[in-house]
Amino acid sequence: MVKEDKGNELLHTPGGVRDIYGMACAQKLAVQSELQQMMHSYGFQDIQTPTFEYFDIFSKERGTASSNEMFKFFDRGNNTLVLRPDMTPSIARCVAKYCREEQMQIRFCYTAQTFVNTKQYKGKLQEVTQIGAELFHDDSSDADAEMVALTIECLLKSGLKEFQLEVGHADLFRGLVEEAGFSRSETEKLRELIESKNFFGVEDLLDQVTVSQGLKEIFLKLPDMLEDIPSGIAYIKERSGSDRVIKALERLEKLERILDLYGFMDYVTVDFSMLSHYSYYTGVIFRAYTYGNGEAIASGGRYDSLMGQFGNDAPAIGLVIVLDQLMIALERQQLLQDVPIGGTLLLYPKESRAKALAEAARLRAEGEVVQMLRKSSRISVEEYEEYAKRNGNERVLYITEE
Amino acid sequence: MKYLTFALAKGRLAKKTLRLLEQIGITCEEMKDEKTRKLIFVNEELGLKFFLSKASDVPTYVELGAADIGVVGKDTILEEGRKLYEVLDLNTGKCRMCVAGPASARQKLNDGSLIRVASKYPRIAKDYFYNVKHQTVEIIKLNGSVELAPIVGLSEVIVDIVETGSTLKENGLEVLEEICPLSARVVVNEVSMKMQHERINKLIHDLREVLPE
Repeated sequence: MVKEDKGNELLHTPGGVRDIYGMACAQKLAVQSELQQMMHSYGFQDIQTPTFEYFDIFSKERGTASSNEMFKFFDRGNNTLVLRPDMTPSIARCVAKYCREEQMQIRFCYTAQTFVNTKQYKGKLQEVTQIGAELFHDDSSDADAEMVALTIECLLKSGLKEFQLEVGHADLFRGLVEEAGFSRSETEKLRELIESKNFFGVEDLLDQVTVSQGLKEIFLKLPDMLEDIPSGIAYIKERSGSDRVIKALERLEKLERILDLYGFMDYVTVDFSMLSHYSYYTGVIFRAYTYGNGEAIASGGRYDSLMGQFGNDAPAIGLVIVLDQLMIALERQQLLQDVPIGGTLLLYPKESRAKALAEAARLRAEGEVVQMLRKSSRISVEEYEEYAKRNGNERVLYITEE
Repeated sequence: MKYLTFALAKGRLAKKTLRLLEQIGITCEEMKDEKTRKLIFVNEELGLKFFLSKASDVPTYVELGAADIGVVGKDTILEEGRKLYEVLDLNTGKCRMCVAGPASARQKLNDGSLIRVASKYPRIAKDYFYNVKHQTVEIIKLNGSVELAPIVGLSEVIVDIVETGSTLKENGLEVLEEICPLSARVVVNEVSMKMQHERINKLIHDLREVLPE
């Protein structure tokens, strides 16, 4: 007779999603709560939005994922719905809808699952927890600096020690391209090449198009100007006459000065060649990296025109920390602390039930974790003690009649 | 000091790359031993690690950060479509990605008829026919000896790497269209580029210095 492995085919999850339990889950939630507290301490208030929304909310100008990277389905009216790939458009929608009258700062923070439909076998997660904050109605460079500083504070709070936060400005590239008068296809090509730091490709491309020597020098120098901000800014200012570019540079200069007051410049580098991944970014953009993870663990930027698309113009800046990526980095850098989860295992025979219940209530009132377990006569106390060890309980309390 | 890890595509390219690295003072004696069965080689002094892998896996190792730096052909980079920094053209291993077939197939490429295209590079083939030529084709993925396909009637044309064109000629095939030039590239993991910026940048600059024009 064929032996059946009953139910085994039901044990698997789809690729890119996973179960998190036990210590790993406790550690993730511990970091999550630290980050949330940090955001609350900066005056951000919690917000929750639906897990799925209409496709249009996340369409090209507003979204962070391309159309074919979203999980889509239909409602009964045959409208296309998507599982949110990120939170920013949803929160912008909320603010446009509910906070129409407020013209001063609005601060929201969130912890949410987000979903991206990536290709199989690429080693990428399709569902991650994002923790982020959005600050509306403040277009000052102080707001820029505060969001960058908050990102750094959050990463430090999580236990991370070595990381780099890169800042750039979305208008820098746009302004330079505008000044050079590139066609749309040339711009796309250039963006792709700079994005992949393919600067021999950039050189080839610039040889094929007509562009002033000064701008050409800027494009080629962009990747080398990391770190030394004043000289980089001077270099570009000498060669570019674009207002947009100059404004972007001045904004970065201000940002640097304020971050210096926070005392965080050690973690920050300026990357003039940084491009905005999403078309909705209009100002300062940033991304944070660390060892042990091939992806950015946090990112953010200013998006002053997104709100206008929801019919309520307002400047805004946001940040997001991808908690799952952060956890991977913390684990690989061996920075995760064990979280006590077990508490007391309260073992009792059914004869002493009343006494056990009273004792459990008393301990819980004192703030202790109590897991109750009625003793079976077929299992010895020693076996229960071993179980407690496996289960992570700190001690076993055996309640008897006397 | 953190190790910098190199992923090299097995074969001729790896040997050429090692010779280039040697010119800029980066050596790995362990790797020269042809008989060794080791998979990973370490230069403790310079804090470097090297490993060889199948060419098509190099972009994967680098994208996911298992290797900081990779050396691999442009064909593989295009086909794998991974997120990487492509920082240097080594100008070696030069060849072309081409559409090839019997001379009689040329007509079919021009009149936009539905044809079958066999290739080891389905992504490159699809991108070329759909986005550049705007021709609807059926793409058949093969794993080797692609030249066979038009000869035995599996497809009308092939998309493959052409170095000298002698294999094609011997089999009665010719280059019909050129898709793009290819050569070996240095690729870098995005995070490594930020976290070890100075070391990696120095390496790229040094390599650029010794490259033959």
